[in-house]
Amino acid sequence: MPNVSADDETIPPLHPKRSPRRWLTIILGIVIAFVVYAFTVEKTDVDLSQIRDETRREQLFRILRALANPDLVTYDQAEVVVSADVYVPCGPELPEAAQSEPYVVVTPSCGNPGDIVTIEGFGFVPGVAAGVDFVPDSEFAVTLQMARFETDATGRFSVQAELPSRESTAPQQVQATTKTRVGTWTDRVSVWSDANGNGIEDDGIISSDGSMDVLVVVGRVQTIGSIALVDAENELVQFMGFGNDSSPRSGPAQGEIPFVVGDDLRQEFAEDITGGGAEVFVSATDLGADTPTATITGPPGTDLSEWTLIVYDAEELNRFGRTPLGDLFAMSPRLSDNALETWDKIIETVALALLATTVGTALAIPLSFLSARNLMRDITTPVANLSLYLLALPAGVVIGALAGRAAGSVAGAVAVNAWVVALGVVALPIVILYAFRWAIPETEVQPPSRGLRAARYGVISVAVFAGIVTVFLFADLSVTIGGFLRDRVPAVGFLGNFIATTGEILEAILVLISAVLGAGVLMNLAGRLGYALRSKLPGQVLKVLNLPLAATAGVVFALLLGQVVEWFYQIGNPTRTVLIPGIVGGALGLLGALRAYSRESVNVGLTVYYLSRTLFNTLRSIEPLVMGIVFVVWVGFGPFAGSLALALHTTAALAKLYSEQVESIAAGPIEAVRATGATRLQTVVYAVVPQIVPPYISFTMYRWDINVRMSTIIGFVGGGGIGFLLQQNINLLQYRSAAAQMLAIAIVVASMDYISARLRERLV
Amino acid sequence: MLKVEHLTKIYEGGVMALDDVSFEVPEGQFLAIIGLSGSGKSTLLRCINRLIEPTDGRITWNGEDITAASQEDLRRIRRRIGMVFQHFNLVNRSKVITNVLAGRLGYTNPALSVVNRFSRADLDRAMAQLERVGLESKATTRADELSGGQQQRVGIARAMIQSPELILADEPVASLDPVLAHSIMQYLQAINRDDDVTVLCSLHFLDLVHAYADRAIALNEGKLVFEGPPGAIDDVKFKEIYGKDAERVG
Repeated sequence: MPNVSADDETIPPLHPKRSPRRWLTIILGIVIAFVVYAFTVEKTDVDLSQIRDETRREQLFRILRALANPDLVTYDQAEVVVSADVYVPCGPELPEAAQSEPYVVVTPSCGNPGDIVTIEGFGFVPGVAAGVDFVPDSEFAVTLQMARFETDATGRFSVQAELPSRESTAPQQVQATTKTRVGTWTDRVSVWSDANGNGIEDDGIISSDGSMDVLVVVGRVQTIGSIALVDAENELVQFMGFGNDSSPRSGPAQGEIPFVVGDDLRQEFAEDITGGGAEVFVSATDLGADTPTATITGPPGTDLSEWTLIVYDAEELNRFGRTPLGDLFAMSPRLSDNALETWDKIIETVALALLATTVGTALAIPLSFLSARNLMRDITTPVANLSLYLLALPAGVVIGALAGRAAGSVAGAVAVNAWVVALGVVALPIVILYAFRWAIPETEVQPPSRGLRAARYGVISVAVFAGIVTVFLFADLSVTIGGFLRDRVPAVGFLGNFIATTGEILEAILVLISAVLGAGVLMNLAGRLGYALRSKLPGQVLKVLNLPLAATAGVVFALLLGQVVEWFYQIGNPTRTVLIPGIVGGALGLLGALRAYSRESVNVGLTVYYLSRTLFNTLRSIEPLVMGIVFVVWVGFGPFAGSLALALHTTAALAKLYSEQVESIAAGPIEAVRATGATRLQTVVYAVVPQIVPPYISFTMYRWDINVRMSTIIGFVGGGGIGFLLQQNINLLQYRSAAAQMLAIAIVVASMDYISARLRERLV
Repeated sequence: MLKVEHLTKIYEGGVMALDDVSFEVPEGQFLAIIGLSGSGKSTLLRCINRLIEPTDGRITWNGEDITAASQEDLRRIRRRIGMVFQHFNLVNRSKVITNVLAGRLGYTNPALSVVNRFSRADLDRAMAQLERVGLESKATTRADELSGGQQQRVGIARAMIQSPELILADEPVASLDPVLAHSIMQYLQAINRDDDVTVLCSLHFLDLVHAYADRAIALNEGKLVFEGPPGAIDDVKFKEIYGKDAERVG
């Protein structure tokens, strides 16, 4: 211990001298931190050599470039591929290559691997991207890249490149490729249809006069057939055939464009073009035999956009499509398949998020009140009531479920046909409404007599039963109407599907609802009975009565728990799942009754509060991705599994967030409303709900944001949405396609964020 | 007749807010409850309608034992007791008329009021009460858009729509300026005189007690230290109630 002077005691120094012990602690702390981080780095495989690695860097750059260039737009590319023979190593003399344009010359025309050769090309499309590849002698379609460049303004190039180490005695090829972007319209060919079904019988004579390049249709035809062009008066202007032979049926390569009467030509093609579906280009100009272009010419002053292009399918001459030329030009370039697929999936993603948020919110709102401490804190109940509640709960569930089933079979018996069902759905609610009107008067000054009260309970029970029957009938009707719409009116098929599905969901959960109702009603009655006992019976009798009640409740509850354990672990040993839990439960019940009597009341509210809190916290801590896996097992791959997983997580997360809002509201209004004699439910509706509307809206929107983001990746585990596509493309190393999906996600998330922020401003 | 016998309240944590308080309030009286902050005035008022459960003692009102009432009976008792609060305790985001109608909740059927449905008669009652406090034009305004004095008038209308036989006013004017304070007190006085409603009102300012109360009781640290006409509070009594260092203001 250092000496402490009197001054030090009164004014502690700003920087006190550290004792050796303290120093030791600090050093030890540093050493421990060092060890921990060393271990962490070891475990996370931190390897800087990987970052510096040249090939990995190359790959990274390739991916980054692909990501910067998302696959959204497709240009059909016209490829010109020309090759020249080459020997590696030198072999026999090569014959003189034909020098018809375009062509490639390799000098020297043979060499050893690693030798530099000059490759020259002539007569290519000027000013476009081109490449030279080596095509080795291999049974696989392999090409080795040699050089990448652009052709010059005259359509020539000259590059030097190294011969690869692929030796063969057979001649191998150096192949030059140019690619030009061209538009396309062929995708529409297959969906066009003949409006009147009788072809173009009235086609006139094709005129060859006044040829003048006005517009160029560029495209590729994938079906065998022919193309006709008609002007605004439906006169046939031009007719081009195409078939499965590699030479175009028309075009300058073969001479003049054959302008023939339509019918004859069609006949001709019907004979000529048989079998196969080879992809052949049609050309009407001299842009090159294989270039997929056709020039459409018309007399001076013609408005070509009024002309119609007709495409025939040669195998089914009556099937043809027509489209105004004006539309065709808009199709080039078009959205890529990937872009369309991404669009489709992003819509699915947003729908999935919407469903999950809606369902989650609807469930979370009532549940949030259960886990709000300020609402639950004051709910207490006498021990006798608690035992009665615990007994009434399972009994009520069973009775409710049985009543639900009974209502279902009554509805089934009534539902002889759709009209009876419809009548029931309309008439029963009116009867039920009047029954409720009678049984639940608006205001009541004096407490009702016992007989009247009993009669009311009877009427309400019957009305509730009738209500369940009605809902069953309604569900049945929904299924019928939905099915009808789906089958008969395809345009609104999805609406019909929705109605039918809603009906099925209703039918499925109705027994559950009536079980909950049954439990609620029976517990209410049990509570009344408990209070009646408490006020009628003397304290000693009550105390004695409490013991068996609590013991029975304990036994019942323990047996139920035992059943749950049995279901999960399949122990199959009645001693351990029935006998022991029963005895322990009974003993605990007795003990509880003996101990709790002194306090008289048990705080049920807080128990429910802690239970629901724990449940929500547990559910919330499980990521939706993990839940998604479980739901995929249950309902199969697809967005349904994803929306269930997200809905469950949303429920848990929102219930917690909401309940914290309830806890933070002003207590004054609650006090004021309670003071007027309002029931607990009325207090919630009039004093709590108005206060929590803004934060609830705010949190729901926040959750909607989260769900949109989550739904983009729930597809990773098969939960539908865009994630599936994204993962697939990443796995297939199609980074450009993946980039499109990432872009879509970014846009959707950002715009949802913006929209929800604006809405929040408006509403809150 | 409201009868409070040996009322004791000990909060969790052992704070004794009320210590064996007994007094009676005859029908139609305007009773002022005075005392320092924290002397138990609010607790006493809240024990009467059991917003706070008393630890011990008995409160009877017209022969009915409030302290022993079941939840259902309590609902029937509470709806005949109006309450006015220092901070008005209106639901800020709700309309004025909805705040007033909340006073009828004790009478309406829970199932119907949950879906925000009140009978025609209740709507008329609400408008009549708003007219009485001069706020009929503000019926559809949001409560938090009103001034403090207007909010307290809405609070009075909410209490009055209960057709109460007893009003508990917990420092109804403590958050208001002196002019507004008098206007609110005049409303309470009118209710007391014209409608024959018993009023229990906790107050801070002795001049208000002198001006409006028929009788006063005083609490100090949970104990009843004075009971009698307001005029009987002389300087000696004052020091007894508020402590020997207290000075009179206003």
